[in-house]
Amino acid sequence: MRHLRHATTAILLGMLVTDATAGQRPPPPKSSTAPVNADAATLMDFQRRLDRYIQLQRNVAKQSLRLRETSNAAEIAAAEDVLAAKLRALRKDAKPGDIFTPQVRALFRRLMYPELKGEDGPETKASIAGHDAPPPVALRVNAGYPDAAPLPTVPPNLLARLPQLPMDVEYRIVGKDLILRDVDANIIVDFIPRAIR
Amino acid sequence: MRRVCITLLIFALTMSADAQQPALRGKEASIKFAVIGDTGTGDRNQLSVAKQLAGWRARFPFGFVIMMGDNMYGSENPRDFVRKFEEPYRPLLAAGVKFYASLGNHDNPNQRFYKPFNMNGDRYYTFRPSLTGGVRFFALDSTYMDRAQVAWLDRELAASGSDWKICFFHHPPYSSGETHGSSEVLREQVEPLFLKHGVSVVFTGHEHFYERIKPQKGITYFIQGSSAKLRKGDLARTELTAKGYDSGYTFMIVEIAGDELRFQTISQTGQTIDAGTTRRVEVKTPQGTRPVTTPVTSNQPRARP
Repeated sequence: MRHLRHATTAILLGMLVTDATAGQRPPPPKSSTAPVNADAATLMDFQRRLDRYIQLQRNVAKQSLRLRETSNAAEIAAAEDVLAAKLRALRKDAKPGDIFTPQVRALFRRLMYPELKGEDGPETKASIAGHDAPPPVALRVNAGYPDAAPLPTVPPNLLARLPQLPMDVEYRIVGKDLILRDVDANIIVDFIPRAIR
Repeated sequence: MRRVCITLLIFALTMSADAQQPALRGKEASIKFAVIGDTGTGDRNQLSVAKQLAGWRARFPFGFVIMMGDNMYGSENPRDFVRKFEEPYRPLLAAGVKFYASLGNHDNPNQRFYKPFNMNGDRYYTFRPSLTGGVRFFALDSTYMDRAQVAWLDRELAASGSDWKICFFHHPPYSSGETHGSSEVLREQVEPLFLKHGVSVVFTGHEHFYERIKPQKGITYFIQGSSAKLRKGDLARTELTAKGYDSGYTFMIVEIAGDELRFQTISQTGQTIDAGTTRRVEVKTPQGTRPVTTPVTSNQPRARP
């Protein structure tokens, strides 16, 4: 039964993998398979909630200053700021748990557990809490990630455990918390407190 | 006594001049480039390395520079792009030298849209500096090595028919640094692909010193993370270390011609810290032909600073 559950989770995780071919923005994957167990249902729910955010973000981005290659760094900063402001306005009622529901939080903690407690656990934790770990960041949905703070590196073995994200957003670990960060707008979309144990 | 002094003075002057000459041959048809890492401070150390880099280009006309990440420390407002990149490297930019950046943990990924970094809007990318020369570079984002990037790297390396496949990124898979050390979890993800597809050389940064690692499974790894930041005394000089330098700021110049890659590491005062050659050779295996590198032969530095 345990093997079956792992296999099912792996298949669903595979379905979540987005083809992030450089330079392209594929549409968010649509989930169509009926949930076969609680984890699969949780993952599908996470995907639906994430899809809604990605759809919103891309619609806003279309009607906003375009982030495009430019030699003028001010244009990049302006595009980032305008996108962030519009998203904040449209998501003014957004709150922690909108995407990382309690079920998703529990599942993500469980998915990461083997990497944090297994053979690679000390190395993984050391890389999270390394010399360049950012200073404490007050986590708030819609807040900007501090401009001058380093972006903590996410250990690849943890990324391999979590559902693949489209390139619009990324996971980052701040202290013991996992955040979902909008890459283009540099804002915190949601977070899981005490994700790293 | 006077004669001895004059002789010593002449010797010192000769050594000094000699130490500031390229050990590389500067062959016309070769691929020539420079390597800098952990640069974005905008302080006098970055400026002094940048000045040396520009000066050396007169003697060794490299066409492009690869950047190992941490291109911007601290804030990244538009003025910072000027102070921490455009001003220090203005002579090179004006001369048409192209910069190819990779992302470090201090970099906002939106740097990928900054045209002078030549990332084409991508966090990871590949480029060939020349249609001839058989060299392809792969710039990776080691701060976020997700499954999509690993799959991309596998595909791109497999599709490349280039003789030389060179990867560069921020975090070193092998390092003798006291502060950071080897990024082992990253190594587990990327090293199998390097071996599978015949990557010859890897350049990284993150550690604020220079280290040439003894070839690991045939691959030569360099850490060049001291082009503006320095962590003095941080290099432990372990069994991994072929050559290390943690008492001054550095950059590298590199030349690839045929099966040879020649490198020279230079300090902010213009002294050669390390120099040598690594060769790419073809070997027949039961699985087919696969390029491997032979151990690096190190040239003795002509003078130590």
